[in-house]
This record gives sequence, C-alpha cells and structure tokens, in this order.
Amino acid sequence: MRVQLFATCLGDLVFPEAVADAEALLRGAGCDVRFPPGQTCCGQPAFNAGHRRAARRLARAFVRAFSHDEPVVCPSGSCAAMVAHRVPELAGCAPFEVWELSSFLDHLGAAPPARNEGVRIAYHSSCHLLRELGVDAAPRRLLARTGAELVDLRRPDLCCGFGGTFAVRQPEISVAMADDKLADGAQADVLATADPGCLMHLQARAARTGGVRVQHLASVLARGAV
Amino acid sequence: MSFRVLDERRLAATDAATLRLLAGRTGAWAAAGDAEALRERAHEIRMGVVDDIESHLDRFVAAVEAAGGRVHRCASAADARAAVARICVDAGARLAAKSKSMLSEEIGLNAALEAVGVDVVETDLGEYILQLAGEHPVHIITPAIEKTVEDVASLLSAVDGVPLEPRAEALAQAARRQLRQVFERADVGITGANFAVCESGSICLVTNEGNGGLVTSLPRVHVALLGMERLVPTLDDLAVLLQLLARSGTGQTLTTYTRLITGPRRAGEVDGPEELHVVVVDNGRSRIGSGPYREMLACIRCGACLNVCPVYRKAGGGAYGPVYSGPMGAVLVPLLQGLERERALPHASSLCGACTAACPVKIPLHELLLELRRDLVEHGVASRGERIAFGLWSLLWSRPFLYRVSTSLARRGRPLGALAGPGRAWAAGRELPELAGRRFRDRR
Repeated sequence: MRVQLFATCLGDLVFPEAVADAEALLRGAGCDVRFPPGQTCCGQPAFNAGHRRAARRLARAFVRAFSHDEPVVCPSGSCAAMVAHRVPELAGCAPFEVWELSSFLDHLGAAPPARNEGVRIAYHSSCHLLRELGVDAAPRRLLARTGAELVDLRRPDLCCGFGGTFAVRQPEISVAMADDKLADGAQADVLATADPGCLMHLQARAARTGGVRVQHLASVLARGAV
Repeated sequence: MSFRVLDERRLAATDAATLRLLAGRTGAWAAAGDAEALRERAHEIRMGVVDDIESHLDRFVAAVEAAGGRVHRCASAADARAAVARICVDAGARLAAKSKSMLSEEIGLNAALEAVGVDVVETDLGEYILQLAGEHPVHIITPAIEKTVEDVASLLSAVDGVPLEPRAEALAQAARRQLRQVFERADVGITGANFAVCESGSICLVTNEGNGGLVTSLPRVHVALLGMERLVPTLDDLAVLLQLLARSGTGQTLTTYTRLITGPRRAGEVDGPEELHVVVVDNGRSRIGSGPYREMLACIRCGACLNVCPVYRKAGGGAYGPVYSGPMGAVLVPLLQGLERERALPHASSLCGACTAACPVKIPLHELLLELRRDLVEHGVASRGERIAFGLWSLLWSRPFLYRVSTSLARRGRPLGALAGPGRAWAAGRELPELAGRRFRDRR
C-alpha cells in the first residue's frame, strides 16, 4: 500500500529521528512510503492563534504538496486533526484520507518488534488525538504488542499544557500543567506521546526539572524505549 | 497578561473540590442511561429558545402576569440595578436577603442597593463566606471553592466574636444561626433563576442549602433576576434540563431542593411573598443571540467546564475577572464586555477540548474560543507585531523553497531564543528545544 508521509514541521526540524522511526514502522507494516517534497507545515500554529489568512496560505501549500489519491500518515495527533478537520475548509478542497501514525498502524494490524519487554511505559493521550480524532486504544494496543508493561496515568484526560502559542502566552500555567503530567507519569520508565508538540513541551520541562523520560511513540515502537 | 498559578493553599483547595465534583459527575452520568441522547435533546431545547428569545419571552411574561407577578425588562446592567433598587425603595425595604445569583454579580447589584440604603446579605453559604471576606466568587457553582475550612472558621468567628472550631458541621451550624435572623428580618428576598418556564410563568430555583426557600417565602417581596435567555418552553423541557444540571455541576442526580415558583402568595395561602417581581436582564444577550456566538446562550451555568479545565484548576476563577470564569467565562466575558477589554481571555485555554466534551448542552466551547481568537486578529485587536509575524511566517512557509532556506538559516542560530518575548516566556520554566542537525527531509 502506498502512503504519503507527512513529517510535520516539528518532526522535520526538531524530531527527525521520530519521523524516521515512523517511516520504518510503516515500511515494516508493508507500506510503500512516499515523502512529498513540497510539504512544510499544516498551518495549525496560525489557525489556533486566530490567524486565518496565514493558516489558509499553509493549507493551500499542503494541498499543493499532497495527493488526494493516497492516504496521508503523520506522526502527530494534532496535525492529523488539523488536516482532517480544518485544511479542507481553509483551502476549499475535498477531504484527505489522513491518519495519525499509530491509528493507521493499528488499522493495518501491524505488530512492531517486541523491543519493550518488561519496560514500564505510560501513554499520554494528546488532546487532539483523543478528542478530535477519537483515538485512544490504538497506541496502547501497539505498545502492548511490543511487550511493554502499560502504566495507567491517574488523569489520562488532562492536557499537558502545550497548546501551541498557549505555552508562551500562559507560561506559568503551561509549565504547571506539564509538572502534573510528568508527576503522573513518574512511576513509568518512559512517558510516550504521539504528538511532537506535547513531546517538545514535556521534554523541555523534564530537562529543566529532571522529570521522567519522554519519547515519541514512534521511537518507542520502532526502537524500544531508551 | 498572563495568569499566575494559585498559591499552594488555594491550589490544594481547588484541586480537592474540583476532583470531588468530577468524581461525582462521573458517577452520576454513569447512572443516567443514554446520556448522549439527553445532551442532544437539551441542546435542541436550549437552541430552540436562543434562536427565538423574543417570542419565548412574550409567552413567559404573559404567564407571569397571569399568575399575579410583575415583569421588568431591562436592557442594561444599569437598568437592572435601577429596577431592583426601585422595587426595594417602593417596598420601604431596609434589608434584602439574597440567594445565590451570578447575574446579580454580573450587574453589580449589591453596591447599587447599598447606595439606596438597603443592606444586602448573601445567604448562600459560599456567597456569605465571600461577603464576609470582601471577595468575589471564583466558581459559578461553588463560589468559595478556594477557601479552606480554617479560612471559613476565622471568617465566621469574627461575626460571633468567639472562636469556632474548624469543622464543617460546626461551621454550617454557626452560619445557619447567624443567617436565621436575616431571613426573619429581611423585607425583600432576591434570587436568580436557574430556569424560567414559558408555559407556566414559573421560576425554577435549584439549591442545596434551603436558603432559597426562606428567601422566597419569608420576605414580603421576592425579586427574581433572570437572564433573558434562561427560558425553557415547557415543564417537560425543564425536566430534561434538570436531569443534566445537577449531574454536571455537583454530581447529584437532583439537588436537595428544586423549587418552582409561580406568582406571589394567592388568596387563602398562608405563606409566600405579597409581591413577585421578575427582572429580565438583557445586558448584551440579545446582541450575542443574533450573532455567530449565539450557542453560548445555551449555557445552563452548571460549572462542569470549570471543573474539567486544567487552566481553571491552576489559575483559579479570579484570573478571569470578578464574575464568570473557566471556559464558559473565557467565552462569555469577552462577548459581554467586548474583545478590546478582554483580549487575553480567548487565549486562556490550551484548546484541549475537555470543556466541550463535558458540556451537558453541547456548546462547542473551544471552537468558540477559536472564533474569538480569529476576531481578535481580524478586528485588529491582536498586536501588530503578532499579525506581521504570522503573516511573514506564512509567506515563507507556504513556499517549500523558502521553507528550506529559512529553516537552514535558523539552524545556524537559536531561533526560538531569537524570538525574544516568546523565547523568554518558554525558557522561564523550560529548556529551549534544539533544532536537529539535519532535517528529516535531508536524510532521505
């Protein structure tokens, strides 16, 4: 099956290993992965900050870069939600078949390598993946297939506090929310998330405070938690 | 203007209370049968009113008058304050006993009554505590949510002049004793209205403390403040909404008291007020109702969105202003006060969507926040610097070549650090993320 990989801007620029892991997982599941070279960003930062004209420019660029004929897969819940729910209206185009990586792998029945035997992993449901795309069980199922011991968070429904520009408009609240999430995940060896935004924010806070290790779900699935 | 995290005491009190309310809500919903169908129905009922407030209001007014009550329609907060003051003055009132009403906070009623020589005493326990403390409510349902039992003990002790033990029951007894004389002496009772029923002209009051009953039956005059949108067509519709209100707010199946008041005391009845005045307040609602944010008027003030909101739970209600708070406040306050004045509130959310998921009448709260953010930009309220930054960024990143050039250049510096304001805000509590040595696109 041919799929188009959407790296997302954060994936391309800050977390290229996680995107490479996503690509490896897709190949492992039998996909023929294409990387449309014209891709940049889905426009979510502008859209969520109220800048519709700016978001529309990025949405149109997305439509120029991607084909409607093959599924788009991306290692980000919030970017997948943006492409699914906002890009078509902004750009005035037909909807894309877009999948967040873990839900697509689960849909294909993929069995990632068993590299997490005995590792305690907590999964942080990013808000947009959970509430806008309704994906919650797929990432956990995949983690379980890699042998991970899943650790339940006490408040899996709570936002980690990233929220795009929210992280810098409300820094004190944003950081306090990260602290709650990191404390909730502290009993695990690794806190895994399927969203580069949450990942950047939680890693940045954990680096400052010495909190639990936070990794992208794709890396945990492809190479095992480290 | 950024929110601050509450101090440790208030944070712990808020955390404990919201978690208790949420746990109750989860349990009550589980027992509600087809909760989703109930929410759909509630949304329909509320939007049916919101889409045609005037004709519903006409029916309600006719029914109130037929039952012997009087209706005062007020366009603004000032009109509403004046109307209530006039009712009190005409009644020769010296003391007004109030049951909890967020609308009275919205219009600033207490100060207006005191200005015409009427003492006002809040009789809802939470509101009473805040009145003693000289503070505003920080939650629309549990207004003193940030107060600990020790705080309450010291406030109530000051009234009695003797120290009270910091035990909930002893304190409730003390407040009960202190307030009893207010109920007996009050000339006017002032309440809000959770709902008003068009077909019967009834005011519905939902309370847990019993003060609502005393306020509406002992004083000679009862004044009910009603937001003009808080109507339901029929008693059957009311039954649908009552199933949702307490479940969402406090996690109860029903509150302890659900009171329906139809007209003043009738001939032959032994109690109830001689006069019933319903003060119907617009104060911006008809404007909201005719615009793109009209779904906000479906709100039944249950407080569920506050309890689930991680921002509310960290910053507390005071951060949003003196009246409404949490996600419903972040939407409603800018609509009532204007975006110019309340430009920070639409951004007081991570857009996590927990509020929308919790809303019993299915108001898309986080979508409305997104629309308000759009208005901030398109009405020129957002800063010029921000608009220029997003404009330039989108011009660069909508062209793959310029994306590659700009991100190559950025990797030579520390781009997030270079964005002085946002970079500083990020780095105050977090490390700045590093751009990778090679982009993903360069590795293929």
